[in-house]
Amino acid sequence: MLQAVVLGGVEFSPLVVYFPIAFILTAVTRFILHRLGWHDKIWKVSWFEVSIFVCYLALTVYLLSGR
Amino acid sequence: MTKYIRIILTILVVIAALFAGRWVWNDYMHTPWTRDGRIRSDIVTIAPDVSGWVTHLNVKDGQSVKKGELLFSVDNKRYQATLEKSQANTENALYSWQLAKHKYARRVELKSQKAISEEDLEATRISTKIAEANYQLAKAEQTLAQLNLDRTHITAPVSGQVINLNLRQGNYVGQGVSVFAIVQADSFYVTGYFEETKIPLIYPNQKAKIALLSAGEPLTGHVVSVGKAIANTNTQSNGQLLPQVQQTFNWVRLSQRIPVDIKLDPLPDNTQLSAGMTATIHLATQ
Repeated sequence: MLQAVVLGGVEFSPLVVYFPIAFILTAVTRFILHRLGWHDKIWKVSWFEVSIFVCYLALTVYLLSGR
Repeated sequence: MTKYIRIILTILVVIAALFAGRWVWNDYMHTPWTRDGRIRSDIVTIAPDVSGWVTHLNVKDGQSVKKGELLFSVDNKRYQATLEKSQANTENALYSWQLAKHKYARRVELKSQKAISEEDLEATRISTKIAEANYQLAKAEQTLAQLNLDRTHITAPVSGQVINLNLRQGNYVGQGVSVFAIVQADSFYVTGYFEETKIPLIYPNQKAKIALLSAGEPLTGHVVSVGKAIANTNTQSNGQLLPQVQQTFNWVRLSQRIPVDIKLDPLPDNTQLSAGMTATIHLATQ
């Protein structure tokens, strides 16, 4: 349950944490796909990666914001 | 065939992303929540009803007080003397009234013997009434003097905690001038400043979840009221009574924040609340 990120008394939106998490998950997915050799099998890789980032972001918001 | 599977897989992920993106957008933009919440409480300011030197200070800063407990006393010598003067005045007026009544009774007797005129009798009757009125006036002044004397002891109007006490024994305090405040016990509530775009989603008795910036278990509560007015700077006037209209950008406008009061449910044990704390508020959606 993450409502706000507090650093030295300054409150940040939790999106400050959610975005890097989603980005790291996307990078890991990309790495795994490369390793398995499935990366070349995807049609429009850039569309796929942007979409997977948005999905990860929504998942992170859903799981971490406690709603 | 493989080509179609590739295309369908990507399109499925894109569609999922569209739904996921829409959910995140709605969650942030169209659900009633705010990070701009503050803990508030009922603050009672303490002002003496009589002027004078503080002769006795009974409380310390931050001390808990019970309703009716003595907070401080103001020098009562002048008020004591005024009361004694009023008592003497009342006694004087009482005897004057008795004398007037006595005179009137005698005049009534004399009138029956036709020894005095009708006018004399009437004048005596009116004098008696004046003496009675003077007695009532003196009594009222005595009550007032007694009240002033009683008010030299300032007691706590509510139970709570003394806050920002800068008063010291020997200070001179003026009538009606606040000297410190009491934070009323168990009067904590939360005010959330919601963007005006979210106000249609808020209704009375709506359940609220309040997360304090100081962490800990989230608190719960329910909406009591939605503020019906906020200040409008455009209604201020200058020295010539001309309206001071603020210039704004046409393309970018900031939504106003409307205060929404939330009553807290019974607090969990060990919850430390101070009025002014920051809170994030989520209201339940239907």
